[in-house]
Amino acid sequence: MNRLMTASLLALATALPAQAETFRWAATTDPQTMDPHAVSSAPVLGFLNNVYEGLVRRGRDMSIEGALAESWEPLPDGAGWRFNLREGVTFHGGEAFTAEDVLFSYQRASSEDSDVASWFSPVSDVVLVDDFTVDILTSSPQPIFPDSIANWMMMDSGWAAENGAERPARDAENYATRNVNGTGAFMLQSRQPDLETVLVPFDGWWGEVEHNVTEAVFTPIQNSATAVAALLAGDIDLIDPVPVQDAARVNDADGVYVLDGIEARVIMLGFAHDHETLLNGDPNIFADVRVRQAVSHAVNVPAILQAIMGGVAEEASQLVSPAMRGYSEALSERPAYDPDLARSLIAEAGAEGANFTLSCPNDRYLNDEAVCQAIVAMLAQVGLNATLDAMPVSNYWPQLREDNFDMYLLGWSPGTFDAEHPIRFLVHTNGERLGTWNFGGYSNPRIDELLPLIQSEIDDSARQAMLDEAAQIIQDDAVYNTMYVQPLLWGVRDGIELTQRPDNFFILRWVTVGAEN
Amino acid sequence: MLSFILRRIFQSVLVLLVVGLVAFAMFRFVGDPIDTMLGQERTLEDIDRLREQLGLNKPFFIQYWDFLVRAVQGDLGISYRQGRPVAEIIAERLPATLELALVSGALALFFGIVLGIFTAIRRDGITANLVMSISLIGVSLPTFLIGVLLIYGFGVGIDIRIPFTDMTFNTGGMPTFGRGDTGEIFGWTTGFATWDGIQSIILPAITLGLYQMTLIMRLVRAEMLEVLRADYIRFARARGLGDRAINFRHALKNTMVPVITVTGLQLGSIIAFAIITETVFQWPGVGLLFINAIQFVDIPVMAAYLMLISVMFVAINLIVDLLYVFIDPRLRVS
Amino acid sequence: MTDTPDDIPAVSEARAQSRLARAWDSDVGYAFRHSPVAMISAIVTLTLILAAVFAPLIAPHDPFNPATLNLLNGLTAPGVPSAFTGETFLLGTDDQGRDVFSTILYGMRVSLFVGFAAVTFALVLGVTLGLIAAYVGGWTETIIMRIADIQLTFPSILVAMLIFGIAKGITPIEYRDQVAIAVLILAIGLSDWVQFARVVRGATLVEKNKEYVQAARLIGRSPFVIMARHILPNVLSPVLVIATISLALAIIAEATLSFLGVGAPPTEPSLGTLIRIGQTFLFSGNWWILVFPAATLLVLALSVNLLGDWLRDALNPRLR
Repeated sequence: MNRLMTASLLALATALPAQAETFRWAATTDPQTMDPHAVSSAPVLGFLNNVYEGLVRRGRDMSIEGALAESWEPLPDGAGWRFNLREGVTFHGGEAFTAEDVLFSYQRASSEDSDVASWFSPVSDVVLVDDFTVDILTSSPQPIFPDSIANWMMMDSGWAAENGAERPARDAENYATRNVNGTGAFMLQSRQPDLETVLVPFDGWWGEVEHNVTEAVFTPIQNSATAVAALLAGDIDLIDPVPVQDAARVNDADGVYVLDGIEARVIMLGFAHDHETLLNGDPNIFADVRVRQAVSHAVNVPAILQAIMGGVAEEASQLVSPAMRGYSEALSERPAYDPDLARSLIAEAGAEGANFTLSCPNDRYLNDEAVCQAIVAMLAQVGLNATLDAMPVSNYWPQLREDNFDMYLLGWSPGTFDAEHPIRFLVHTNGERLGTWNFGGYSNPRIDELLPLIQSEIDDSARQAMLDEAAQIIQDDAVYNTMYVQPLLWGVRDGIELTQRPDNFFILRWVTVGAEN
Repeated sequence: MLSFILRRIFQSVLVLLVVGLVAFAMFRFVGDPIDTMLGQERTLEDIDRLREQLGLNKPFFIQYWDFLVRAVQGDLGISYRQGRPVAEIIAERLPATLELALVSGALALFFGIVLGIFTAIRRDGITANLVMSISLIGVSLPTFLIGVLLIYGFGVGIDIRIPFTDMTFNTGGMPTFGRGDTGEIFGWTTGFATWDGIQSIILPAITLGLYQMTLIMRLVRAEMLEVLRADYIRFARARGLGDRAINFRHALKNTMVPVITVTGLQLGSIIAFAIITETVFQWPGVGLLFINAIQFVDIPVMAAYLMLISVMFVAINLIVDLLYVFIDPRLRVS
Repeated sequence: MTDTPDDIPAVSEARAQSRLARAWDSDVGYAFRHSPVAMISAIVTLTLILAAVFAPLIAPHDPFNPATLNLLNGLTAPGVPSAFTGETFLLGTDDQGRDVFSTILYGMRVSLFVGFAAVTFALVLGVTLGLIAAYVGGWTETIIMRIADIQLTFPSILVAMLIFGIAKGITPIEYRDQVAIAVLILAIGLSDWVQFARVVRGATLVEKNKEYVQAARLIGRSPFVIMARHILPNVLSPVLVIATISLALAIIAEATLSFLGVGAPPTEPSLGTLIRIGQTFLFSGNWWILVFPAATLLVLALSVNLLGDWLRDALNPRLR
């Protein structure tokens, strides 16, 4: 694309000094708070990872590395973990970081008002050994505890007390909702919720600076077409996401490229396992494992990936993607697309021509509505008459919680990046704290038995064997029909180098802004 | 006279109450805010506790009553999404919407009147008929599509080759989203303070104003045609007055009253259609705030927005009514 | 019903014919014959309506039957064979592998149905209330016209969103697809009746004091008969003009609502839903998914609008 005239006009209008590297990026949602313990959502935690830090953090390849803790080791007999803190770290406000702040952040993050309290459910106590050593005691052995607290961010106790922000605010705001005092590589310069948030580098950061950003401006843009337009017009340096259908065109356009990868999120179909009848009063065909298996064979996942996901997603054979810890290598194949087999399974179960509803969100996952539409067509071809009910996610979750579905679409991204996570939330028998997202009411005593064993097993191979067993049960029972791992697509201006992680966190300290070519 | 005003005010308050009730009834079906407020690792206890905290487990009419009592005291509640007072958020976002509405209203009024006069005077001319037909495109395409097409054409741009050369000209360059840089003038945050801000308002204002422009243009044309046939105009013509004097001094003046009334009443649809324009252009006004609130089931923000809109419209209606009374003495008797 | 000549088919046919012929010879007919714009837009409108009505006969595919869709046909360009199946589509396919040409015909059906039904609803409601308000007067009139005033200033898309939200909430999940269209009609119709009511009231207030009405009253005709038989025919021409323009408005309103997520379901899309889906493909190079439905909508709305425009001028005696 030759943008000769506009380019020269623009150059005149915005002649900036060469060294000021302002970086502008946009995503669909604004982080609703700057408080690291108030909301456990990807937009919030991802954004705050740039300004706050935890004891440990994830590297470019998602591996756990030291952040505010230099090292850590398990305490004898699985009693917990010892963290040796980094010395000489200061908060943006100049306060020194000590073990006292770890204790305070534990109390704050595990309090009733915190949305991240579940990370600390195995923790029985936090003991300060000295100013730079902390023991976190657990009620049972917790082999993956350090992995599970990578997003537990440290706040200065003095700053919080001074400003009356000792507890996260849930139904109102407090000082920490719009102000930040972390130890991270960037400081909050200004924030207008929903409009614009500006970050600047923190000179006193303990780490080695790899970026060359002098100012970073974040803007939420909801309408994806508008975001693409802003990227193509040069108003924005990075957008997340690029709509799947636009990816090829954006990549071909001059001055921008698409960075794609695989997200940690697995997209699947769930079923009404324990309902007496379907919503229309007919017998519940999904109580029959053959019908659930038939659905797995009826859905042509390669075609969905080709036609709707732009060929960038990957098939999913189990509840987690291969990049996750505890992935079951033995089950790397998804049940094959085989409409004839599906038809005969349905005939065996006597479910030919059954009518039911497929519930689907239309604003939650990439092209969710289009995927559901395609599934309706594929099911129709094997003799199941699904009616699509697509709705915004704000209606969707209440419907699922109230058992108002026959079959539904769900995406799951394990917060701990471990295969245990989806078993805990999606497969374990539905209860107060476990199986809270097991809407279909699937229940298997063996799974319930395996979960606590998996959680406390220290030996890696024994743990993997149990995870393999669970994955096998889930596939044999066709508890969920896992379809694909959602792709990640960022649109980036040429000359900008950065790293994309499967958790879709945007890490500013890995950004270098180069010359536009 | 006084009783008339009192009666109208009483009716207006009644309208507000009904709007509030309907709005509140709707919120129960928009969804459940709990799911958007809690992370995926929430327990059922967390859900119950938050529901209690927000007062969502109270009966519907008590929630409505609580809302009214606080609203009367000027407290619009606290946004579920941002945790900030709703009044503060709305005060922050309202200038953007008002600016957009004013600019598009002004554009619509100016071009609507000019083109309306032109098409009325040249009733049978080819150009006038062409203008009439083309103007219909403005009401024959949905607003969101016009916005998207404008962004594509003038934001991103299309390359047009200049004939007989190798040079191409790109039609883009206009800001694609947002308000641009804003500044403060007398404490009012405005986009007019910077060149970037002025550029940014052009495409959204055209998108929003196109429909109204077509409407005003047709109204002016129709009124002008009627007036131009009136006896006093014929008389003026017979007296030998020039076309210009007739058209502008006499005819135009008499078409202005209905035009201004209709434009005033149209302010409502401008603000409403601003919802769509703001979504397409990521314009940070109250319309976009409302759409965000629907997605998040931010009930206090939704309620405040609907009440704000109702108050505005009831007020406009009231003013128009009262103006009629002052203008038309016959109404004063009753 | 009593035996009137109208009940005999041959007679009523002859009457209809003569009525058509009379219409053709009338002043309005004369104006029509001498206005190329009116002729062309009438022909275009009629063609599109017929195409929508006979869509099942014309369309090569049935896009509303999911069993016939092949995802591998998705995003095939117009007139180019699909890379996977080798099938060719006149106007290409969308991401679901639906033939765009067939989908437009079926979508137009939905849009026109919603448009006609909404206008009919608004017309019946508005005309009835307008007549009653003017004829009865007093408190009835005050209440009706106050509601109309409020409705007129309250943004119509907000009204539609409110109604849609409530209706969707109270409908059981398995019937939602069926009610979506009905709710759209109700929502658009309810936001549109005021214009009819105002015009009819205004006209009725004038007519009601004319001699023929007073005569009818004197011979003891009931108010209902007077309103329906005597006043109504005399206020019909402005109603006709408003109805035509409202039809175009209703079709556009449906498109706008579907952008806000309150439109026809994606498995049985209207033109508006098609445009909402199509606009997400604007930057992808698959222009046909947006351009053809949008062009159809534009041509449809434009020709209906032009027709309404012409009708307004033609029926206004002062402008003749």
